Amino acid sequence: MDTSTTYDALVIGSGIGGMEAAIKLGDMGHSVLVVEKEPSIGGKMILLSKVFPTLDCASCISTPKMAATAHHPNVTVLTQSVVESVRGDAERGFQVTVRRSARYVDESLCTGCRLCEAACTVAVPDQFNGEMVSRRAAYIPFPQAIPQKALVERPGTSPCTFGCPAGIKAHGYVSLVRSGKYEEAFGLVAETTPLVGTLGRACYAPCETECTRGSLEGPVAIRRLKRFIADTHYALPEPPRTEAPAPNGKRVAVVGSGPAGLTAAWQLARQGYGVRIFEAAPAPGGAPRLSIPAYRLPAEVVERDVANVTDLGVEIVTGKRVDDLEELRRQGFDTVLVATGTPRPARLRVPGEEELGGVRAALDFLRDIRLGQPPDLSGKVVAVIGGGNVAIDTARSARRLGAAAVHMVCLERRGGMPAYAWEVGEALDEGVELHDGWGIAGFRGGAAVEAVELKRCTAVFDEKGRFAPTYDETTRDDLRCDLALVAIGMGADTAAFPLLSSAGARGLQADPITLQTALPWVFAAGDAVTGPKTIAEAVGHGRRAAHMIDRWLRDLPLAGFDAPLPVVDKAEVLARQRSHSLREPLDGTLRLVASPTDFAELEPALTESEARQATGRCLDCGVCSECHQCLAACPADAIDLGMRPQQLEVEVSAVVVSTGYRLFPADLKPQYGWGRFKNVITGTQMERLLAPTRPYNTVLRPGDGRVPERVAYVMCTGSRDQTVGNPLCSKFCCMYSLKQNQLIMGALPLADVTVHYIDIRAAGKGYDEFFEQARAMGTSFVKGRVAGIRETADGNLILRYEDIDGGGVIAEAEYDLVVLAVGVQPNPEAAHPFADGALTLDEHGYVAEVDEDLNPGATSIPGVFVAGAASGARDIPESILHSGAAVAQAAAQLERRRVPV
Amino acid sequence: MTAAPLPPQEGASDPGATPSKRRIGVYVCHCGGNISDYVDVEQVVAAVKADADVVVARDAMFTCSDATQQEIAQDIAEHQLDGMVVASCSPKLHTLTFRSVARRAGLNPYEYTQVNIREQCSWTHTDDHDGATRKALRLVRAGVARTRLTEPLEPTAVETVPRVLVIGGGVAGMRAAVGLADLGLEVVLVERAPRLGGWVARLGTTYPHGADGGALVLRLDREIRRREAITVLTGAELVAKSGTYGDYQVTIHTEAEPITFSVGQIIVTTGFDSYEPAAGEFGYGISGVLTLPEFTSLLKESDGPITHEGRPVRTIAYIYCVGSRSEEHPYCSRFCCSAAVHSALLAADRGEEIRQYHLYRDLRTYGKNEAILTESRRRGSLYLKFADDQPPSVSHDGDGLRVTVRDQLTAGEEVTITADLVVLVTGMVAGKNPKLIGTLKLPVGRDGFFNEIHPKLRPVETVVDGVLIAGTCQAPKTVAESVASGLAAVTQAAAVLKRGVAELDPQVAVVNASACTGCGVCVDACPFGAITLVAAEGASAETGTAPVAGARTAVIDVAGCKGCGGCAPVCTVDAIDLRGYTNAQVRAMIDGLLVGVAG
Repeated sequence: MDTSTTYDALVIGSGIGGMEAAIKLGDMGHSVLVVEKEPSIGGKMILLSKVFPTLDCASCISTPKMAATAHHPNVTVLTQSVVESVRGDAERGFQVTVRRSARYVDESLCTGCRLCEAACTVAVPDQFNGEMVSRRAAYIPFPQAIPQKALVERPGTSPCTFGCPAGIKAHGYVSLVRSGKYEEAFGLVAETTPLVGTLGRACYAPCETECTRGSLEGPVAIRRLKRFIADTHYALPEPPRTEAPAPNGKRVAVVGSGPAGLTAAWQLARQGYGVRIFEAAPAPGGAPRLSIPAYRLPAEVVERDVANVTDLGVEIVTGKRVDDLEELRRQGFDTVLVATGTPRPARLRVPGEEELGGVRAALDFLRDIRLGQPPDLSGKVVAVIGGGNVAIDTARSARRLGAAAVHMVCLERRGGMPAYAWEVGEALDEGVELHDGWGIAGFRGGAAVEAVELKRCTAVFDEKGRFAPTYDETTRDDLRCDLALVAIGMGADTAAFPLLSSAGARGLQADPITLQTALPWVFAAGDAVTGPKTIAEAVGHGRRAAHMIDRWLRDLPLAGFDAPLPVVDKAEVLARQRSHSLREPLDGTLRLVASPTDFAELEPALTESEARQATGRCLDCGVCSECHQCLAACPADAIDLGMRPQQLEVEVSAVVVSTGYRLFPADLKPQYGWGRFKNVITGTQMERLLAPTRPYNTVLRPGDGRVPERVAYVMCTGSRDQTVGNPLCSKFCCMYSLKQNQLIMGALPLADVTVHYIDIRAAGKGYDEFFEQARAMGTSFVKGRVAGIRETADGNLILRYEDIDGGGVIAEAEYDLVVLAVGVQPNPEAAHPFADGALTLDEHGYVAEVDEDLNPGATSIPGVFVAGAASGARDIPESILHSGAAVAQAAAQLERRRVPV
Repeated sequence: MTAAPLPPQEGASDPGATPSKRRIGVYVCHCGGNISDYVDVEQVVAAVKADADVVVARDAMFTCSDATQQEIAQDIAEHQLDGMVVASCSPKLHTLTFRSVARRAGLNPYEYTQVNIREQCSWTHTDDHDGATRKALRLVRAGVARTRLTEPLEPTAVETVPRVLVIGGGVAGMRAAVGLADLGLEVVLVERAPRLGGWVARLGTTYPHGADGGALVLRLDREIRRREAITVLTGAELVAKSGTYGDYQVTIHTEAEPITFSVGQIIVTTGFDSYEPAAGEFGYGISGVLTLPEFTSLLKESDGPITHEGRPVRTIAYIYCVGSRSEEHPYCSRFCCSAAVHSALLAADRGEEIRQYHLYRDLRTYGKNEAILTESRRRGSLYLKFADDQPPSVSHDGDGLRVTVRDQLTAGEEVTITADLVVLVTGMVAGKNPKLIGTLKLPVGRDGFFNEIHPKLRPVETVVDGVLIAGTCQAPKTVAESVASGLAAVTQAAAVLKRGVAELDPQVAVVNASACTGCGVCVDACPFGAITLVAAEGASAETGTAPVAGARTAVIDVAGCKGCGGCAPVCTVDAIDLRGYTNAQVRAMIDGLLVGVAG
């Protein structure tokens, strides 16, 4: 690309007017920068079928102009770019800021082979085909596009992916499952973490909380889809393994085999590091293995996930508590990651807690169960202290071990409990009794506990939101029990690593960005640093640690972790859905029994058809799902999702604004039903149906694919119409409709075409003759406005209209297909780059021509000219001539600057 | 300037000899479906591949698209192509496109042949796919045969004259003159009438911005006087033009004496005539029945309440489309609806109580002009629509003018209006410039206006090189539209002249001096006067051929030759060949067409 920063002229917009301006200025020897916001130059004309009145094919006229623009030695083109500001004046020149969006494809590498398009798993309405068919998120805009290079549409990160603390491309795997690419989906999750099965069951799924579909009928079952992916992969007779790369000679010790440690080990091992994990417990897996009950997460699932890591050559030493980090260094590890979690249960510090038998830490209780030594609770009354996830797991596990009654006591009222509401609900469904709003005064009993003494909790947090419970000491109660299980929190084992924490700290201390500790060669991650968080958060931390360790070992600055695009605006996502049919979410309700007796997994697996159906509800918020299939498919390695917008500063001496027009949005005339009635289309959509690159390869009704026999045109849709705020005539709709009439009659010789019109405005060279030609071919013309359209059961349309020629009666007629001849609106973007109000608009919102009689194209800013439909409705020949006028004056401005008078 | 004689071409004179091996690329276009819906493009490709000289043959969805252009350029480099054939649409559309692809890729552009299988096959034989395919193949074979015998040609560069002749001193021509001068070009502005200004000078208030026509012309006049680069010749006419592209000699008759000078480009802005109704047409001739220009003059030249021949005007009836959309003038004059509606607003300004009736067919106040239609309605104008075949009638009785019309807006009710004035909304007709048309060989359309080459691709150029058209001599236009097209012509002229050199097509006729007998038949056949007979000795120095003592030989001026080929067939000894279409090439093309045809 040309990297100069000074041009003679800037042309904003590369429709027919802009291309003409650029070519002609270039021909005169001036250097020109063309800035186009779309990914291809060519504007609206290249998408037309044929053009009136010559019936030339639009491509045949546009493509030579496009090629001439793109290859002109004096013309530089920037696509996907917007002029953000134009400052300065004609005397001193203009300073221009251009923002170039990321294409996510390296244009210099892309060969336009479209393999990415074939691999892409996201289909969105094709704006270059009137949204009547779909295109992929990775795509080449249309066959004649220049540049003929792919791009990836990424308006932002999908909320699910953005909300994932682990950094898993949630939208990506949903999209892959939708495409039946289950192995690829597993691979995508595994790019982040080996704990695919674990997270598929035990993740609290912030992705689903964020899911835009949640504001409709309910979120996509994203977590269960991950379980489906894991189950499908693990059920393969020989699941494909991740190949271990050649060792890079560096060794890393990971202390702790929980989600953070396993994820870090996985990431590092895949980069060739020699990794060994040290685990104090007899089994690897951390909290998911040791404290989450099997009815939520079977141990085999964790074991299978852990095997991903060991399959890669990572050695896990269990039963080995590390307390001497230096020793690891001596053993030859270049760096150490401490990810030991929060194994230390918090204590109540109330009378009886230490002394009495039968008062136990819930973590120990859960761990005994998970390690195959469940206590027998038959007939016993169990009190569980705490209101969080662990308390719930404990209470429900106790029910399964035969407890006669399980009482949960928590400070908070039910609505304010740290556990999720659905968890609490499930616990209650299984017969757990909740005592909310109580604090613990103490435990009472003989040798063993007999009762818990309760006192009313009046507030859990102080006015600043800090945990500071207050009690009404006078309101008390007693809860009889045989066993009290305390689940009021847990903390890191700071005592084991005195060098990594300061006195009184709750966790290990590491830099929140780099995760480096006071010992530069030691990093710390996961709950050990953050305090108890979710599995997903620990995974994210582990991944961050691996990234930083890798950089540290390669002597690179500790920076540059995930930098996702900003999250998309959900309101915009919903707004761009023309319709979303109601799709009931999967029923996630579990079949619970009041007295469960075993630890069998509660949640059923999704069947394949359920999984595919679930993915069908995804709204593809961020368009690109980051499924990474294009990365794999591209033979040129041209895809780069890390691209970001660029800002360019250039100097020019003249500016041509050729930003064109906007089409009237037909849904602003609701009485015509566009957007609701599938067989009501706009003139632009009809252009696509008739174009050589037409979506259905013939003229069909979009509703049911039938060949239409009766086609009606509703002229002046959104023009000459005060009710939509546009009193003006749009000038070219009559002519394009007359053209389409003729093309339809050519394509469908049996079709009848009727035009409902006010005046046929065929004013121009050869235009009235063209009108007569349409009449002679058999188009019927009915003078009078159309009042409204209704749809019949078979998708036909009944027009209610005034028949002026027929005596002014109100009549109705049935058609198969109705075309709304939509007109133009000013493009509000025309004035954006100029300081407030500097570029004067006329009373209709078009760029004002301040001296149209003698200087057509001159604007309120000397040195800035307007070309084409940006200053009012113009057809193609008029735009070209108008552009010529703007160029003559822009060139005069350049001449003046070259040869000052 | 004379052309070098054609080098003896191997095999050309001996059809039995094997032509040298060529490396030709053939590209057959689907044109989206325009071609491939009827022609089996793949079959054509497969068949042409059999030719030993065809080293690449491909089909493409849009050969003209940038992607395929790149692919062709890549092929040219990779396969070292020395010839190229694209079978797609009319050469009028894309010859230049593909020549520039060839040039970019390092292949001489004249080694390229365009074959038209769209207009000549797919669009013509929609009912016979098989036949269309076979015909396409024959045409492609002929194209390959021609390409086999191409040779690299280089265009002749001509220094252009940085001066433009503008013919017609209305607003379009005046503004063009100013625009050209502003780009550093000299201008000679020639006007037939004694004064500049044309129609607009006579207009009062114009639409849509309310400027006074006379004032607009005055402004332009001042701008012209301010620029030394502009020479104005009034009462003057072009009488002769000779020379070559970029360097024409023109002769202007003035009131004094004829002047001859050189110009690089010519812009024709000779304007229009207003339609003059026949006597009795809608009552024309009856007192009180005026044409639109007569009515606007009446408005301009008076103030206060409108009167006509001393009588107050209280009711005006406008009849639209007089002289437009008729059998004689089938076109729409575009400006008149808006002009009439605007006049009605001016009339209303002269007295709000005035009643105005507009009898129209389709009201064509296009674009922003719709606003004045709305305004006129607000101010009391009434609109009645008549059917194309039921025009209103105008008669005169004691009370005044009676206009009778069947109004379609009120269910075809017959309405009679008693009016003080009837304004016939007359359109534009082509100006009468037979001498100019003859001198410049201007292309005249069926409607009498001058024709551009293509309304979108080359909207101000004519088929006569270097002669541009703008303003209402091309088609009816408003003031702003005329001025815009005048400036567009400025842009086109400057795009050529600012480069300083123009390239002339090298596909010109050449004389084989050794064969020429100097009979002179070709001299008479040349419509451009580009062939002269010189003493053979004189020619020999340039041609290097051995002179025949005392003989004469024909010499062709490459800059004057347009490559029409008219001289080649009349040559009695086949001594003239047209570069790019040599006799051998034409014969080879015919052979190519007839491959496999018995007999």
